[in-house]
Amino acid sequence: MSDDLDALERRIDLLRAQVRTAARAREAALARELRGQLRKAERAWDTLVSAPPQVAARPGEQEGRVAVPVRERVHRALTLLGVPAAGRLVVSVHDAFFAEPLRSSQLTTLRRDEERTFRRSPYARPHYVCAALTDRLTPARGLLAVSTWPQERRVVGPLSPRVDFLVATVQVAACAGRLDDPSPAARRLLARMARNVPDAGSGFGEPDPERVAVAARAELAVHLEADTRQRAELAQRAAAQLDEVACLFGAATLSDVARKGACA
Amino acid sequence: MATVGERVSGLDSLRGTTPAKPHDARAIAALAANPGCARRALMDGAGVDKDAAARHLGFPAPFGQSPFAITRGNAFEALVKADGCAELLRLLRDVLRLPIDEVAYQDVQNVGAHLRHAHTRTLFDRAARGEQGTLYDHPLLSLKIAGHTAFLEPDVVAFQHGGRFHIVEIKSFAVIDGQADPASVSAAARQAAVYVLALRTLLEELGHDPLLVAHDVVLVCPENFANRPMATLVDVRRQLAVLKRQLARMTSIDRLLAELPEGVSFDLLPGEDGAPTRSAEALAEAIQQVSARYAPDCLSTCDLCFFCRDEARRDGASDQLGRQVRDELGGVATVEEALALADGLREPAPGQEEIARLLRDAERLRRECLA
Amino acid sequence: MSILTSLARLRAIKEGVAQPIATVRHCHLGRRPMVFVPLRLSGEAAAPLAVMLGTDRDAPELLVVAQPRNRDLRFAFTAELARVLLPYVESFLGQSETVEKKNADPYQRALDAPQLLLPNPSGVAFTRLLGRSTRFRRPDGPYPVPAEVPLLGRWLTYFAERAAHPGSSLTLAATEELGRHWASGQSGLEDANLAALLGWISPPPGRTGPQAAQEAEDPLIWPPAGPATDPGFDAEVLAPAIESGTVERVTEALRTQLAPTWRLMWQAVDLLRALPEGASVATRWESDRGSFSMMAEQVAEGAPPQARRDGAVAAASRLSRMERAQAAFEVQRAYDDPLVMAEYRLTGEAFAGEVIETDPEHTEGEGRSRKLRPVVLVKTDDPVRLSPGATLGTPDRRGQAAQLVDVSDGLVTLKITKGMGRGRTPAPGSVPEPGERVCYTSLTDDFQGSAALPDRDATPWTHGGPPQEYVPNDEDAQEEWA
Ligand code: SF4
Repeated sequence: MSDDLDALERRIDLLRAQVRTAARAREAALARELRGQLRKAERAWDTLVSAPPQVAARPGEQEGRVAVPVRERVHRALTLLGVPAAGRLVVSVHDAFFAEPLRSSQLTTLRRDEERTFRRSPYARPHYVCAALTDRLTPARGLLAVSTWPQERRVVGPLSPRVDFLVATVQVAACAGRLDDPSPAARRLLARMARNVPDAGSGFGEPDPERVAVAARAELAVHLEADTRQRAELAQRAAAQLDEVACLFGAATLSDVARKGACA
Repeated sequence: MATVGERVSGLDSLRGTTPAKPHDARAIAALAANPGCARRALMDGAGVDKDAAARHLGFPAPFGQSPFAITRGNAFEALVKADGCAELLRLLRDVLRLPIDEVAYQDVQNVGAHLRHAHTRTLFDRAARGEQGTLYDHPLLSLKIAGHTAFLEPDVVAFQHGGRFHIVEIKSFAVIDGQADPASVSAAARQAAVYVLALRTLLEELGHDPLLVAHDVVLVCPENFANRPMATLVDVRRQLAVLKRQLARMTSIDRLLAELPEGVSFDLLPGEDGAPTRSAEALAEAIQQVSARYAPDCLSTCDLCFFCRDEARRDGASDQLGRQVRDELGGVATVEEALALADGLREPAPGQEEIARLLRDAERLRRECLA
Repeated sequence: MSILTSLARLRAIKEGVAQPIATVRHCHLGRRPMVFVPLRLSGEAAAPLAVMLGTDRDAPELLVVAQPRNRDLRFAFTAELARVLLPYVESFLGQSETVEKKNADPYQRALDAPQLLLPNPSGVAFTRLLGRSTRFRRPDGPYPVPAEVPLLGRWLTYFAERAAHPGSSLTLAATEELGRHWASGQSGLEDANLAALLGWISPPPGRTGPQAAQEAEDPLIWPPAGPATDPGFDAEVLAPAIESGTVERVTEALRTQLAPTWRLMWQAVDLLRALPEGASVATRWESDRGSFSMMAEQVAEGAPPQARRDGAVAAASRLSRMERAQAAFEVQRAYDDPLVMAEYRLTGEAFAGEVIETDPEHTEGEGRSRKLRPVVLVKTDDPVRLSPGATLGTPDRRGQAAQLVDVSDGLVTLKITKGMGRGRTPAPGSVPEPGERVCYTSLTDDFQGSAALPDRDATPWTHGGPPQEYVPNDEDAQEEWA
């Protein structure tokens, strides 16, 4: 098929040149005739190029396989990232590196469901999808975290959103770098993240995972020390002031903070 | 001159038992749209819900926002702020030359609604004193409008150490090949000016230099047809000046108030279910006690537009055709009068000789050409 | 707006119906115009929602995007649109004439050209964006689109740009054309509503203009003519329909919004067609045909799509072209239409009246330099504000020139200087007879000379230096269309 395309392209180029010559020589009739041929050749090229490729049937992924539960999918994506993340990013990461689909609408009640499960029988499961806590020890809007992470990672100070973004970028770059042929979703994700990291290679073409990771680490070095310190303080406060449910899911109100409880 | 306290109570009684409608930035920005209108100045000053009044009068305002537009706006804002404001930081590093270490982010929405304003004050006080802080997501500012406090929520305020506070406005209208819809841009600028003023007022109250707030606001919009955000600095000095002047005029509301006959009220008399129980005629009569200054521009800026237009039409006012026609008619206020002058059925009043001659000539020519 | 139009508006209020402000039609109306009513998804710059289009009022085509956020469906939609629009455009390429002009290469000009009729200027603006968002696409590469899509984009861009050209009729916005011919009793702002404007111009039986216009403002009776949809419709009908995922439901919902406008568009066509065509309309259409043929040739020869932005020289020459076209359009309208000329009579730049005396064989100079200069005395009621020596033209005898000799007390003396033949006596009919009504004006249509602009290659450095030939790149083609 590509041979035909090549031949057609040569013909199209030739015809274009001839049309121009004819037009310059004011041979209107000839130009018109040639233009007609050009049209035809272009059409033929179009049909050929837009012929549907032979789609190989996907191996029967969907059939008969037990789907991984939503909470596990989210856990998987969060573990890959290693830092608290918003639903949007969780979905993008899952799309990029895992086969089953994850829709953001599936995430809306997840944190609440997990909290209910945890309250019913604490630690019955090896891990829960939980909240990240703000500097007021309330749950941060929209952020998801994993219960088995140390508390320092499950709190967010003022620098943490940026730090976590950079860490996530390093992780995504690493994962993409390990794949021979990253999925289009993975490429898109990496490109999107790279765009927002200074010197990660912008402009045209695909970002190089290696370079992205280096750039992200470079900026990370600027913030990391202060962030680690702030998070440690917050984690201490959480441990001192919150009970075990609140340590994971956040203090709903200020009075929760006051009610002291042991943190696992 | 009335004291502030008296004025507020006078205005409040104008509104009566109907709950005050809080102003938002858009409404405050729109105040400047028709500064000459006493009706609007009084109703806004009194916090009357003009939209509800217009509906009750049988002239509902023609405004509405499509759910698609709202969704799109929210999605775009979320995208700009996603991943620790990653996109926004890239843009600010570009347009404000924000240094790399300026990334601290405060989500003011994490605080309960009733505490947010106080929290905002604390945060900005600390920032102005040099404490760490760069991005403030949805802080809650306030501005006094004719004695009423309006609460305002800019999308983001960015603070640059050793530099200035910048209002960041996130809008979902597209900038295509460097061009955006001019009406949308100027609406955004007017709105941002309200935030600049509110933030300056706040800093001043806290004893800081109000000019720490830049008059350049950062406008973030999608570029071309993708969702990719881009940022532009917009100078809102002119909008600020207009706004300040308009707010200063609002204080001359005393005079308007004093001119009102005793007992005029815009009260809707809401019943148990909140539905108005006052007769629409009585309300219309009360509103008509205050003179309006209708112009077709009202159709895009004021909830009462259909009511006032109807009034202008019934009065046969030449205003209904727009300022251009009105100016052309050089002060001939009604349709009847202008036509009578054109038909030579009326002697021009002193000062009207020139326009009367023009109208008569115009009439003669129209007749001749259409005969 | 002039005092004449303002007066017409006042009269419209008084009479309850719009008043004519033109006696002839100033735009070309083709035999097969394509009525084109697009809708856009609210909140988006260029996301098409639907379009109703066609050349047959009884058989409109309705194309919709059943899920407007789906990029593939959008491009499928534009491909469909191309399928309808491109054959229409190409159908005018068959017959052409050869145009020979002095100092210029002869070229082929189509005998007729396509014509796009849209409801309003925002429809035209949306068409431009639709063109912009599709003309750089490619049938190959990472985001391939059907081959017709970029071609469609170039034509849409062309039509939208042509709409900005004064006097061009290739793309017309109905509200603007109607507003050029009738004055309603409402403001210009309100005239942007096609249904309201038509309500004033031809109210349905039993209704006055203002009543009809007021009804037209109710989106439940007359859905907006687009491209913006009614927010209430979006919330209550469209959103649930899209949610339901059934194509028919979305299609039918959008049909209810488009069909009324479709009828209004043809009503507008009928109203305009009923007016006799102005004398200069054919000349302007001729340059439209020329422009169209040139565009078609560029497309056929594989020229790149229109650039995103003009370079400095291109922008300046476009501006000067537009200014000249605007000036010429205004003069031509005045010459074609006594009611437009009346505007200039009112300001004293023109006058009309009755010839009361002539001296057809009057001459000036002696011997060889003796020239025939017929003298005409006109009595007028108009307030003439022209000085002796002013050059005059007249719509009654185009191509003739005269000079103002004297004005006093409603009596104007003028002498004819051009267009009365070369003999010792004037050519028959070239000098008006006593008793004839005549009109003279200082407006003349000689805007032929083009402003001297540097060549592209000589663009001064202050304007960015010579522009790079615009070559669309991969980024153009791959630009996301989210
Ligand atoms: S609509 Fe009426 S109240 Fe509102 S600004 Fe206009 S004239 Fe004033």
